[in-house]
Amino acid sequence: MTDQAHAYLDANAAPTGGPAWLDTRRRAARASFVDAGFPNRRVEAWRYTDLVRLMAKTDWVPAEQKTGAVLLPNGCVNPFATIPSWILVLVNGFFRADLSVLSDLPEGVEIVSLDEALAGGTKFETAFDANGPETIAPITALNAACARDGAVLRVADGVQLERPVQLVHYTDAELPIATHTRHVIELGADASMTLLETQIGWGGAYLADRVSNVTLGERSSLTHLRVEDEGAEAIHLSTVLADVSADAKYVATTLALGGLGGRLQTAVRFAGEGAHAESNTAYLMRGTQHIDTTIVVDHAVSNCTSAALAKGVLDGEATGVFQGKVIVAPHAQKSDAKQMSNALLLSRDAAMNAKPELEIYADDVQCAHGSTIGEIDGEALFFLRSRGIDEETARRLLIGAFLSDVLEFVPHEAARVALEERAHAWFETSRNGGL
Amino acid sequence: MLEIKDLHASVDGTPILKGISLSIGKGEVHAIMGPNGSGKSTLSNVLAGREDYEITGGSITYKGKDLFDLAIEERAAAGIFLAFQYPIEIPGVTTMTFLKTAVNAQRKARGEEELDAVRFLKLVRAKAALLNVSDDMLRRPLNVGFSGGEKKRTETLQMSLLEPSLAILDETDSGLDIDALKVVAEGVNALRTAERSMVVITHYQRLLDYIVPDFVHVLAGGRIVRSGGKELALELEETGYANVGESAA
Repeated sequence: MTDQAHAYLDANAAPTGGPAWLDTRRRAARASFVDAGFPNRRVEAWRYTDLVRLMAKTDWVPAEQKTGAVLLPNGCVNPFATIPSWILVLVNGFFRADLSVLSDLPEGVEIVSLDEALAGGTKFETAFDANGPETIAPITALNAACARDGAVLRVADGVQLERPVQLVHYTDAELPIATHTRHVIELGADASMTLLETQIGWGGAYLADRVSNVTLGERSSLTHLRVEDEGAEAIHLSTVLADVSADAKYVATTLALGGLGGRLQTAVRFAGEGAHAESNTAYLMRGTQHIDTTIVVDHAVSNCTSAALAKGVLDGEATGVFQGKVIVAPHAQKSDAKQMSNALLLSRDAAMNAKPELEIYADDVQCAHGSTIGEIDGEALFFLRSRGIDEETARRLLIGAFLSDVLEFVPHEAARVALEERAHAWFETSRNGGL
Repeated sequence: MLEIKDLHASVDGTPILKGISLSIGKGEVHAIMGPNGSGKSTLSNVLAGREDYEITGGSITYKGKDLFDLAIEERAAAGIFLAFQYPIEIPGVTTMTFLKTAVNAQRKARGEEELDAVRFLKLVRAKAALLNVSDDMLRRPLNVGFSGGEKKRTETLQMSLLEPSLAILDETDSGLDIDALKVVAEGVNALRTAERSMVVITHYQRLLDYIVPDFVHVLAGGRIVRSGGKELALELEETGYANVGESAA
């Protein structure tokens, strides 16, 4: 039990008085979070990302519903804006019907706010107590205790959405607000969807904490593309808990550029054989930014494949973290798991920490993991310059090439282009470090 | 075109070039031969501007300008081209993207209009066909998974597109079998003009059967110890480098 966690929850926990099942879960989440407190570096899974220190910087106040126009400052843009989609917009953690585009949804597709779903009497059997593996559980507990709104996306059996769905999060932080958002994403058997998520913020310090509970039915397919572009003083925690049924596919690509301190957590659990999950992350950080990519894949059943790839560019005094954990259950034969972290350091003061963890209890499996930390190849730079390409352009070309393993294979063409353009725009302000 | 006077250069404090003087006129092809460690590659790298070398004395004048005043990319834009002994692999950048970036960077530096995608594609296709560089190679990441011959043909394609006034071929024959060597040599010969000078650096006389030089220089111990016509290469083939070095000493 810690005073910091107590004080935080007193100010920010969601009020009780909702449905009884939810109150019960929220109380349990509060108790669980207060018990452990904000994770700090003495907790192995949080060794490189000390949330006690990050959260101690300010007195957080709960975000409130914000009305009226949202004016994005210069340089803030939803990179997926021009892609025809159904769009659900949240501002400061609350659904904004007036900014969303949710008309003409096909039959079998439900896209509503969490608040609306709860008001309509929907009971989420697992979403609020699926705390996931120990590595990320403190955050799912915090989120369950504090989340007031979010999105509920449900696609019925056999429905394949021909247009993507976008979840757009804007945070306009005039005060040090804390936003806790919970999304529930469910695909029925044989359903498929492309989900584009954008997270953009501005103003002063704020906390953006989002947890998405993803449940994929048999043979369903979710392509999940995210841009994490939080404000310069933001702390962001972005957690995906994915339950993947037999022969289903979860494919995620994340581009992370924003925030002062951030942690991208992904926990995949295979619930049926023949399933596949992959999580690819590209991050570009500078100044004193900190980004932690933590992924846990639970091969609970046989014959599933998983891949995690994180490629990061660190300039200035930025720090990166990759924690990859693969668990293969005793009976989960023929599991195939790959994890790789590659970091490119552009400055002497940038730092990278990579930590693989394998817990393998089956014998007929393939598990590979690796990590590289390097700098721009001087030979390649000399070669490009010797062909007349100026040093800055040559560096950008090589950095783009480094990230291409992540961005090149995005399965949605317009989104792929949008992600590449957003990554490239990072250079335009890249003056405060090694470039 | 190029005037090297009493050039001294070191790597990590160790002198490698110890007073090289060489004059290369417009349209001339000069071969520089010598044993391993004689400074051949150092000379080519110093000309291209590689930063690992320290110039400790002498001068290089290129087209009337002090070469040392020009950055690597400025030398390229001014027409200096170094064909690498071991071409660099660049995963993630397709050959086509690289070629277009390079050609347009040089055009821009010279104040010329950049080529749009259509015009560039037409140009590159025509030149690639002559060098047997396939569309597939153009679409693949630069040099990744290319054979030795494919790499050298791609280097030659770069030369053909960039149209340098001074091409330095650093051990172009290394890693090539005789058939691949012939294809590359034909490509290089097709680029010989009265305006374009070449420096052909090689350990072996073999390459000079195919790219016939106007002048041959022998580099040993960081100095040019003998110069002559193309027949000097044949003489070296018979006598070896040891005798040349001794006769000069």
